[in-house]
Amino acid sequence: MATLRTHARIQRSADDVWKVVGDPSRIIEWFPGLDAVTVEDGVRTLTTKSGLPVFEDIVTLDHDIRRFQYSITGPLPVTYHLGTMDVIDDGQPGCLLMYSTEIVPEPMAFVLDGVISEGIANLARMLDEHTEEQR
Amino acid sequence: MGRKILFITTDQMRYDAIGANGGRVARTPVIDSLAAEGISYDRAQPQNVVCMPSRATMVTGQNIGTHGVWMNGVPLPVDAPSVAAVLADSGYKTALIGKSHFEPLLDPFLRFEENRQGFTGETEGHRGFHHMELATHGAVGFTHYAKWIRDNHPETIGGFFQVLDGNLEVSDVAGGDTGAPQVKVNPIERDWYHTDWVANRTIAWLDGLEADDDWFCWMSFPDPHHPWDPPASETHRVNWRDLDLPEGYPQDAATREAIIDSKPRHWRLWYDGELVGNYEAPAKWVPATLTAEQILEVNALVHVENELIDEAIGQVLQAIAARGWADDLDVVFTTDHGEFQGDFGFLFKGPYHVDSLMRLPLIWRPAPSAGGGLDAVARVSQPVGLINLAPTFCAIAGVDVPEWMEGSPLPVDDADAQARGFERVLTEWDSRQPDGTAMHLRSITRDGMVCTTYRPGTVHDGTEGELYDLANDPLMHVNLWDDPARRSLRDELLLDLAANFVEPIEMRHAQAPV
Repeated sequence: MATLRTHARIQRSADDVWKVVGDPSRIIEWFPGLDAVTVEDGVRTLTTKSGLPVFEDIVTLDHDIRRFQYSITGPLPVTYHLGTMDVIDDGQPGCLLMYSTEIVPEPMAFVLDGVISEGIANLARMLDEHTEEQR
Repeated sequence: MGRKILFITTDQMRYDAIGANGGRVARTPVIDSLAAEGISYDRAQPQNVVCMPSRATMVTGQNIGTHGVWMNGVPLPVDAPSVAAVLADSGYKTALIGKSHFEPLLDPFLRFEENRQGFTGETEGHRGFHHMELATHGAVGFTHYAKWIRDNHPETIGGFFQVLDGNLEVSDVAGGDTGAPQVKVNPIERDWYHTDWVANRTIAWLDGLEADDDWFCWMSFPDPHHPWDPPASETHRVNWRDLDLPEGYPQDAATREAIIDSKPRHWRLWYDGELVGNYEAPAKWVPATLTAEQILEVNALVHVENELIDEAIGQVLQAIAARGWADDLDVVFTTDHGEFQGDFGFLFKGPYHVDSLMRLPLIWRPAPSAGGGLDAVARVSQPVGLINLAPTFCAIAGVDVPEWMEGSPLPVDDADAQARGFERVLTEWDSRQPDGTAMHLRSITRDGMVCTTYRPGTVHDGTEGELYDLANDPLMHVNLWDDPARRSLRDELLLDLAANFVEPIEMRHAQAPV
């Protein structure tokens, strides 16, 4: 199993950031390469710019702890996947956005690593022009 | 009017693939005639032995550390400098037809321009190329060739070898007569196979030019890179049963394994199937299981693919002659890296700096009208690299070589090479696999020696190395790294390597496996 982690400090309140992250349909505003998104009955369906659909089960959407988890179910060749986004008010200025991915098979990590990093950078930029992104 | 430039590349072709370099099987009369009329380079090396880094060096004229494409999957930035842009700025019409691979191929999010154009069918190009029509090794993916196949001959898609398995790993499915990996009988008609498609699209682009246009066309054939699935109608050309085994393949297993064991440990680990250092080699294939018959069958198919390439080049040259451009035409022929093809008991490629992967065919046939001493036939023995190609194109076009290019134009003979300091060529490898496996090789070829040092990674501790004497051991069977008699020579080469190596500015993340 491959594990990917990335995080960014965003100079906005955790509540502000959660308004975007905690709404699964708003992924189209910040994740690259998407043409459409629908959310229905706990399933998020993305359509990539190549026309490929990506089906995701929403595993956790907890507004109290500001955690969103989802799992790709197909048709990408994924046998296990769990993506987790946490928005954390850690007492520092702004808030901390944590994104982790566990995935099998491992080569899929190559496919997702770059696009996730680009997405997080987009999200941080969208929410605050001045962010300190770290990997 | 200036000189026209036809830059021809193949993918994963060995030095000895063509007749002009001693190849005895594939008939390559067109390429051989270019060599007979021009300059052949007998020690041409890539700066990296996989596609993306090597091609990034070709288009930028820069070292790996400068352009930053340090392994497959790392994209060349869209705003990276490009020789095509230099030529376009000086009035050349520019095109790239065939395999580019400056950006990752495997990206369903379509974040990269070359994939986007291949997907939509747009051909406006980028990176200074006015026109791009792209292809790769099969009929799937985001290339113009794949779209053309989908739109016109969808029934042929299944005839190609399916490279990726359900786990997105490179497949080792066996085929052919011998059960060799990545061999498949492909019933596709020859005219529809990507080799002829690349030639046909090149001719179509040339047909659209004005007679007095100056042009630079990179015609980039995806073959003979694996998988080995040429049109079945052509495989009769070479019967694998008639071939001899490669010189580089010791038939006796004990001898073969002793040679492998004299090299750094990742050689033996791959041989036994315990470590695959390169994503493009099948994940589950064990080289120790490779049979002599499988080597022969793979080689036969490679020879067939090389003959088809030679004939396709001939068609393009005929079309160019028909336009009246022959006298003003410079042709440069090479490839991005080599292939084991059975040497040491391996197929494919990876972190292995031996001549199977590093010694490339390179021919420059200057325009007959060029004059200035360029009409002399020569063989250059001094080391050159693919980093010298972009500056050469500038020189042909009469354009100053930009400062950001780190090579200089190819020498026209050994005297020119010596006068201009062509003493060494460097080749490097860095990789970081999803499982964390990381390897780092740095090689220098100089004075008839190839010296490779291994930086610390997950497989090597930084003390390992390889040293070969090309004159006395051209098959690179005897590793002299630990030979006390060669210690001072080794140290001298390592100092020279360190003095000339360009360290990377940054190690950007891979965006896809390939």
